[in-house]
Amino acid sequence: MSALLQLTNVKRSFGGVHAVDDVSLEIEEGTIFGLIGPNGAGKTTLVNLVTGYIRPQSGSIQLQSSPPLAGEGSVGAVELARRPPHAVAGLGVARTFQTLRLYRNLTAIENVLAGMHLRRRDDTLQQLIPVPAFLKEDQRRLQQARELLERVGLPPERFGERRAATLSYGDQRRLEVARALALNPHLLILDEPAAGMNPAEKDRVRALIQQLNQDGLTVLLIDHDMRLVMGVCRHIAVLNFGRKIADGPPETVSQDPAVITAYLGTQAQKTAAHVPGSEEMDVATTSTPASIEPASPLLEVRDLQVSYGAIQAVRGVSFGVAKGEIVALIGANGAGKSTILNSLSGVLRPHSGGARFGDLDLTTAPPDRIVSQGLVQVPEGREILARLTVRENLELGAWARRNGRSAHRDIDGLMKQFPILGQRRDLPAGQLSGGEQQILAIARGLLAQPKLLLLDEPSLGLAPQMVDTVFDVIKRIHNDGVTILLVEQNALRALEIADRAYVVETGRILLSGTGAALRRNPEVQKAYLGG
Amino acid sequence: MDFFIQLFTDPVGFYNQHELLIAQIGINAILAISIFVTFYSGQLTLANAGFMAIGAYTTVIMSLYLPTPLPVDMLVGALLAAAIGFLVGLPVLRLRGVFLAIATIGFVEALRLGVILNVPITGEGQGLKNPSADPLGGILPILISVPILTYLVWRLTHTRLGQAWAAIREDELAASSNGINVPAYKMVAFVISALVAGYAGALETHINFFVDPTEYSVTRTIQILTFAVVGGTTNVIGPIVGAVFLTALPEIVRQFAAYRDVVNGVILILVIIFRPQGIVGRGGLAIIAPRWWTRWRTRERVTAAH
Repeated sequence: MSALLQLTNVKRSFGGVHAVDDVSLEIEEGTIFGLIGPNGAGKTTLVNLVTGYIRPQSGSIQLQSSPPLAGEGSVGAVELARRPPHAVAGLGVARTFQTLRLYRNLTAIENVLAGMHLRRRDDTLQQLIPVPAFLKEDQRRLQQARELLERVGLPPERFGERRAATLSYGDQRRLEVARALALNPHLLILDEPAAGMNPAEKDRVRALIQQLNQDGLTVLLIDHDMRLVMGVCRHIAVLNFGRKIADGPPETVSQDPAVITAYLGTQAQKTAAHVPGSEEMDVATTSTPASIEPASPLLEVRDLQVSYGAIQAVRGVSFGVAKGEIVALIGANGAGKSTILNSLSGVLRPHSGGARFGDLDLTTAPPDRIVSQGLVQVPEGREILARLTVRENLELGAWARRNGRSAHRDIDGLMKQFPILGQRRDLPAGQLSGGEQQILAIARGLLAQPKLLLLDEPSLGLAPQMVDTVFDVIKRIHNDGVTILLVEQNALRALEIADRAYVVETGRILLSGTGAALRRNPEVQKAYLGG
Repeated sequence: MDFFIQLFTDPVGFYNQHELLIAQIGINAILAISIFVTFYSGQLTLANAGFMAIGAYTTVIMSLYLPTPLPVDMLVGALLAAAIGFLVGLPVLRLRGVFLAIATIGFVEALRLGVILNVPITGEGQGLKNPSADPLGGILPILISVPILTYLVWRLTHTRLGQAWAAIREDELAASSNGINVPAYKMVAFVISALVAGYAGALETHINFFVDPTEYSVTRTIQILTFAVVGGTTNVIGPIVGAVFLTALPEIVRQFAAYRDVVNGVILILVIIFRPQGIVGRGGLAIIAPRWWTRWRTRERVTAAH
C-alpha cells in the first residue's frame, strides 16, 4: 500500500479569499477517501486543482503513475500541478462534476464512447474507409461501452440509445460515472455524486461506489451527505475555510470538536457533551407539530412540494410563522431550505401545496406583488451589485417605492443605523468585506418595508467575528418589529436567536421545536453529521 | 413549376439549360460542408469566405505565372488555405461564441481590404482574369467532389475525431476531463474547414472567367452561414440541403427574382422560429411544428387529464 495521490502544502486563493490554504493529503491506493466540509470550504476547488482545471499557486500534487495511460512512459511519481486537464486525465485521473456535465444531446452510449477517447487507438483515417475489419473494431468498442453502462446499473438495451438529457437525474449521475470509468482510471474523483438524490437513490450510489472499490479502484469521494461518506470511507479529511481541520478514520473525525464546530457553528461543543433525552419535553416530532404551531400565523405553508425537473427538492413541508417571531429553518447543505424560501418569494413556483401570507396566495402571486405586500427576501450569496456604490445599491433597493422623498429619508436613516454602510457610502459595493456586503443586502431588503423578512444564509462564508455582527443586525431589525424567517447552515447560531426552528433534511421537516430546545437536541447534530 | 417539370420530364435538357446553376449548387454544397465541420465541433467561425479567396487567388495566380497543371494549382490553393487557417487559428481559437465569430469576420475583411486590394499580384481590387477558366469542363470535378467530400465528412463524424468534436461541442470542460485535448481538436476542425473552403474557392475559378474580390466579402460568409442554419447542423446532410435549397430557390421562383434577398431573409426567419434545428434537424426531415405548438399541445393534454 502506498500513496496514490499526495498533496503537499497546496495553496490557491482567489482575490483575497484562501480557497485552498496549505492543504496536505495522502490518498492510499485501493481505498475510498472521503473529503467533507461545509459549503464554501474549498472541496471542489481542491478537485479542480488536482484535475488541472485550476492551477495551484504553490505546493505539489504527486500521482504515482504505474502504468501510465498516455503521455510519457515514466513510472513513479508524476507532478500534476500545472498540467492541463486532458493531460491529468491521460495519467489516469477521472472525475465527475458537482453540477452534472453530460453531453446532453448525445446518447448514453455516445457519452461513454467519448469517455473512451484516450484508451482507443487513433484510427480516424482508417475509419474513413469502410473495410469490415475496421468496422469490427467499432463494434468491439461499442460492446465495451455497453459493458460500462451495465456496470453502473444502466442496462444498455434500455438506456443506450437514449439522449443523456432525457434520463432521470439519478441515471444521469450514473452515466457520468460510466463516462469517467471509460477512461480506465487509477483514481476516480466523485464530486457530490449523491447531491439531490432521495435516500433510495443514495443507497444505490453507495453500493456502486463500494462495488467499484472492490474491483480495485481508488476513489476520492466528496459529498455533503455524512451518512454516505461515513458509511463507505475508510479515511476522511475535513476542510473548512480552505484549511484541513481534521484527517483520520470516520469514527475519530465525527467526534472531532473542530469538525463539529465547523458544521454546527460556534457552540456545538456544549451540545456534543449534552446528555441525550433530557429535553425531550420541549421537542415535537414532525408527526405532532401542532403543539408549537402559532394559532394565526402571518405566513402559513401547507404541504409544499417543489421539484427541479426530475429532482424533488422539497417533499411536502408545512410550517407557520407568527407576527413578531424569528423562525429558523436549519439543515445541511442541499436539504431544500433555500428552495423553500425561493418558492415563498415567488422566484420558484411550487409543484403542489399551499403558502399564504396574510390574504395573499404566494403560490400564484407575482413576485413584485409579494414584495409590495411586505414579504421581502435577502437572497443567498447577497447578490449585491459590485460595481455600484453602497448608496446606489440602496437607491436601487428603493426603486419600486412610489414616494422618492421618503425613500431617501429611509436611506439616510439606514446609513445612520448601520454606520458600516454610512462610512462607505461612496465605495463600490464590491470592495466591502463579505459581512459588510451582507449588511448592505439586508439594508436593501429593509428599504422595501418588509413585514416579513426572509434571510437566506446570512452568515455564509463569513469569518466568526463578522457572523456576530450580522446576527446583531438581525436581532436589531427584529426588535424594530420585523418578523424574520431565517435559513442557516450555522445551526447553533441560528437557534440562539430563533424563537422556533425547523430542522430540514432531504426536503422534509425532520424536527421542530423552540430554539432553546433544539439547541440541546442531539438529533440536530445527527441531521448534519449523520447518525 | 416549369423548373420541376423539366427536371423530371427532360433531365438532359434540364442539365444543359441549368449547368451553371448546378455548378453553383455544387460549390455552395462544398462550402456548406466546410462550415459544418466547425459547427460540429461547436465553433461559430465565419472565416470561410476568406479561405475561399485564398484558394481561388492561389489557383488563378499559379495558372497565370507557373506552368503547373491545373489540379496542382488547385491542390496548392486548398493547402495554402489550410496553412493560413492554422496560423489564423492560433490566436483566434482561444475565443468562443460570438467573439470567435467577430474575430473570424475580421479576418475575412482584413484579407480582402488589407491584402487583396493592396498586393499587385492579385490585381489590386481590379480582379484577375482566369486563363484556365472552363465553365463547362469545370462542372464534372465539382459534381464528383460533392459526394466524395460528403461521404468523408459523414464518416469523420463517426470516428474518434468526430466523437471528440461532438463532446467538445456539448461541453468543453467535460471533454477535457475525458482526456480530449480541446484546443488541438478545435484546431483540427478549423484547419479541415479551411482546407475544404479553399478547395471550393479553387473549384469555383473553373466556372468563372474572372476572380473578383467582392465575391469574398462578409456577405458570402453570411450566405454560407445561412446554408447551415436553414439546413441544420446535426449531420452533414443538413447544410448541404440548405445550400441546394437556397441556391436553387431564385431559379424556382423566378417571378420573385428581384426580391431574392428578401425571400432568403424571410426563409431564414421562418426557419429560426419554427425549425431552430434546421430542415434536416434531429429526428430526420422536418414536419414543421414549432416548439411552442407541441408545448401548448402537451399542456392542453395535461389539463384535460386533470
